[in-house]
Amino acid sequence: MAILEEPVKGVKEVKNYVNGEWVDSKGKIVDVVNPATGKVIGKCPISTKEEIDAAVAAAKAAYPEWRRTTPLARSRYLFRFRQLLEENFEELSRIQTMEHGKCIDESRGETRRGIENVEVACGTPTLMQGYYSEDIASGIDEWVIPTPLGVFGIIGPFNFPFMIPLWSAPYALATGNTVVIKPSSEVPLSQTSIAELAEEAGFPPGVYNVVNGGRTVVNGMLEHKDIVGITFVGSTPTGRDVIYKKCGETGKRVIAQCGAKNFIVIMPDCNVKATIPAMMTSFFGNAGQRCLSGANLLIVGDDDKFYKNFLDQVVEMTSKIKVGYGLDERVQMGPVRDKDKKANILQYIESGIKEGAKLILDGRKPKIVGDYPDTCFLNPTIFENVSPTMKIGAEEIFGPVMSVMRAKNLDQAIEICNANPFGNGDAIFTQSGRDARYFLYNAESGNVGINIGIVAPMAFFPFSGMKDSFYGVLHTQGKEAVRFFTESKVVIQRWF
Amino acid sequence: MEISTCSGAISLTKELENESAKVYQELAQKFEKDKDLFLAFAKENGKFYSQVERAYYGVITDALEGCFAFNLNSEDYQFKKILPKDISLSNAVAEALKMEEVMLRFCQTAAEQSKHLMADVPRAFTLVAKKRNERIFKLKELIEKTK
Repeated sequence: MAILEEPVKGVKEVKNYVNGEWVDSKGKIVDVVNPATGKVIGKCPISTKEEIDAAVAAAKAAYPEWRRTTPLARSRYLFRFRQLLEENFEELSRIQTMEHGKCIDESRGETRRGIENVEVACGTPTLMQGYYSEDIASGIDEWVIPTPLGVFGIIGPFNFPFMIPLWSAPYALATGNTVVIKPSSEVPLSQTSIAELAEEAGFPPGVYNVVNGGRTVVNGMLEHKDIVGITFVGSTPTGRDVIYKKCGETGKRVIAQCGAKNFIVIMPDCNVKATIPAMMTSFFGNAGQRCLSGANLLIVGDDDKFYKNFLDQVVEMTSKIKVGYGLDERVQMGPVRDKDKKANILQYIESGIKEGAKLILDGRKPKIVGDYPDTCFLNPTIFENVSPTMKIGAEEIFGPVMSVMRAKNLDQAIEICNANPFGNGDAIFTQSGRDARYFLYNAESGNVGINIGIVAPMAFFPFSGMKDSFYGVLHTQGKEAVRFFTESKVVIQRWF
Repeated sequence: MEISTCSGAISLTKELENESAKVYQELAQKFEKDKDLFLAFAKENGKFYSQVERAYYGVITDALEGCFAFNLNSEDYQFKKILPKDISLSNAVAEALKMEEVMLRFCQTAAEQSKHLMADVPRAFTLVAKKRNERIFKLKELIEKTK
C-alpha cells in the first residue's frame, strides 16, 4: 500500500470551454489549493458577464442543429463520452481527491456514480418517448412529443466536483438541449477534465460549455433570457433566496437541491455490529461535507444500557478513524475543503460547548497520518446530550461532527426529525419491518434510508429532497431529469 | 500494516498476487519438467487480480462503507518469496502449497469481510478462492508424484 501518484503535476491553468474552444478569461484568477498538502494545484478564472453571455450565445447557436440530431445519434455521443470517462477513471478519481480532499475510495465512488448517470442517459431514445391515444373522439388521435427546450445552466457545488453536474448534463444533452456548466471555483479541475473528454467525444461546438467563476456567472445565467432552466446544488440560502426566486421571476425551470440536517434513528433492536460502520461512513465520510451525511444520531428508547453500549462502540470506532491525505490508502477521512470551512465547523463546536452539549470526542486538534499541514484537517467530533434546538442540533454544520440525541420512542423520534426545517435524507436502523415502514411512511424527508446511512439514490432514481432541502418540482437523475429537460408537446389530429 | 479501506485491500491483493506469481516464475525456471504448470499459475495470478480489481471498480460507491470495509493486516498473509537455490522439487512444491494456503485464507477473509458491502467484490474473492482450492489439489498431486 502506498500513497498514490498525483495526476496533477505543477499548476493547472484552468480555462473556459466555449463553442468547442479553450478560451482564457479576462476575469481575475484564484488559486485552487489541495486542502491536504496546502499546495496550489490550479489557477481558476472568475469569468466576466461578457464571458457567460458568449457561452450562452454559443449554446443557443448550437441548439437547433443538436436538436435535429436524432436521439440515437445523441446517445452515441454519450456512449463515446462514457467510454472515455471509463478509460480515465483512475485519473479522474485522483483529481477529485487532490482538489477536494476526499479519500480515494470516496472519489472512485463519485466517479462511478457520475458515469452511471451517463449510462442511464444513454437510454434516452427510450426514456424520452412520448405516448399516443387513438380515437380520443371519432377519427381524432392525440399524442405527446417530449421536446427539448434550449440552453440549460448547470451550477455545481464544491463537495462533489465530478459527479453532481453529471446528475443533469447527460440528460440535458441526450434530450437535445445544450448546456453551460459552472463548476465551483474552489474545485474546477474535475469539470475541466470532463470537458476535455467531452471535446474528445466529439460533441459539436457549443453543445457542451464550461464557464468558471462565481456570482457574476451565476447571475449571468439567472438573468439571461436565453437560458431556459437551471439546475443547482448548494446551500439553502442561495438555492431558495437566489436561484429559485430568480428563476421564478424570469420564468425558468429550476431544480434547486439545497442543504440538509439528516437524522439517523437508531432503534434498540438494530444490528449493532453492522450499524456501527455505517455510522462512520454516514457521519464522517467525505469529512461530513455531503448533503446526505448523518448529522444527528437519534437513539430511541429508555434502555440506558443499550444507549451506553451503542454510543461507546461508536466513539471507539470513531476515535480510530485515520485522518490524512486521501491519496494515502490507509486514510479513512480526508480534510475539509478549506480553512474557512474548518473555521466555520470550529465555531459550531464552540457553540455546542457553550450551549451545554457534552463533548465526548474532540476533533479540534487533529492527529494526521503523514506529514501535512493541519490547515484544513479536523478529526471527528461527537457531542452527547444535544437538543434539537441547539445550533449544532438544528443547523447544517457540513463537517465531521455527530450530535447525539435521545427519544423516548419512535413517535417522538419522528416528531424530532420532522420538526427540523430540512428534509433531505433521514434513516432508521432497525430489524423491525413494522417500525421501518412506520418511519418510512411518516418521515418528511425526500430520501429515506432503512439500514442505510447514506441515502444516495442510484442514477435511475431521482435525487429527491423536501422542505428546505429542495426547491422545484422535478429532480435530477433518471426519468425525472428527462422530464425536466423536455417539454410535453401535445398534438391532437383530425383528417377531413 | 492494518488495512481498513477497499482501496488498501485491492492494493494488497495486487501485491500478494504479484509476489505469488514471481514465486511460480522462479519455480518454472528451476524445474523445467513442470514449467508449464508453474507458468500457467503465474499467468492466472494476473487474472485473479484483474477479476477482483474489475469487480471493485465496477461497484465502488461512496454511499456504502468503502473506507471501513476491511479489517485486514498484511502481516497475516506473509509467505516465502525467495526459495533456496538448491531446493528440491518436492520441497519447492510444499512451499508453494503453503503459499496457496495463505492466499486462500486471504481470499476467504476478504470475501467474508466485504460480504455485506458490494456483492461483486466478495463474489470475485470467492471465485478466486475456489480456483485456489483447485490449485491446492493440483499441488498436492504433484507432491505425491515427486515422492
